[in-house]
Amino acid sequence: MAGEGDSEPEKSFKLLGFLDVKNVPCARESVLYGSLGSLVLGLGHFLATSRVRRSCDFAVGGFIFTMLGYWFYCRYNFAQHRIRQRMLREGMKNKILFEGSSLDPERKQTGNERSNS
Amino acid sequence: MANPSQFGFQDASSPIMEELVEFHDHALMVALAICSLVLYLLTLMLMEKLSSNTVDAQEVELIWTILPAIVLILLALPSLQILYMMDEIDEPDLTLKAIGHQWYWTYEYTDFKDLSFDSYMVPTSELPSGHFRLLEVDHRVVVPMESPIRVIITAGDVLHSWAVPTLGVKTDAIPGRLNQTSFITTRPGIFYGQCSEICGANHSYMPIVVESTPLTHFENWSSLLSAS
Repeated sequence: MAGEGDSEPEKSFKLLGFLDVKNVPCARESVLYGSLGSLVLGLGHFLATSRVRRSCDFAVGGFIFTMLGYWFYCRYNFAQHRIRQRMLREGMKNKILFEGSSLDPERKQTGNERSNS
Repeated sequence: MANPSQFGFQDASSPIMEELVEFHDHALMVALAICSLVLYLLTLMLMEKLSSNTVDAQEVELIWTILPAIVLILLALPSLQILYMMDEIDEPDLTLKAIGHQWYWTYEYTDFKDLSFDSYMVPTSELPSGHFRLLEVDHRVVVPMESPIRVIITAGDVLHSWAVPTLGVKTDAIPGRLNQTSFITTRPGIFYGQCSEICGANHSYMPIVVESTPLTHFENWSSLLSAS
């Protein structure tokens, strides 16, 4: 239970007061990549055109699209990873439960090989 | 249970709550993007001189029609997916009835044995050291872990609401009506909740405690309870 002999819960850092970038998976990387994308696009546009106002627009647009783009990519991979973890956990549990019994798939395979030979 | 002055969700103890937390993170990320854009536009507007030169703006009108539609679709699709997922009740292993009264809960396990008990809050004066104030009860709801549980909720007098945040469950208890919900606990533990519909003077003093245990422990508990 929280607080019973454990270390203090990790302090959160809430961006704009609501997004906890420390504890939400993929949030920190999304914001960092978004900032990098914003810098690259904004600075690049300014160096190419010397237009300040339009470069700022590009910077903000770059931030939003890079951040959201990486967010969807990261969350998709995270969801796949979690599904694989669940399947692995279930598989390990079933292996332990059925090992050596008549329901053990490895035993059935060995039995089939013997009957075929 | 929540940490002191906790603002966000508690850690999820059921697959549905995990999905809800993920959707919440997704919605907040979209909100962050929109807030950034709005803040930037506000800053620009504050730096601009006022003018009335704009006659029409077809391009920007197209953008601010299509972009919000896309954002709404990005939010609506996972939201509806979780909504329908929450309504799936697929062959539960156990059916539990929760009846709200002023100001305690009655639980009935009538699948295999006629088990019924009342669950009252432990008053602060009688609370053992180290237990949680206004959250502990004299008889907990014990359920087997990793098993689908169906809960049928009703009330005996006024409106109540059976809520356990970490399981992602909150269902109104309405007199004369049976409401159904379900959950699966992913890990053993003790999960706290509180009545979530104003029901009188002691509305804050009728907590819910769900204890998730391995099946053998649940069988032992139900045998002990039916024997007593």
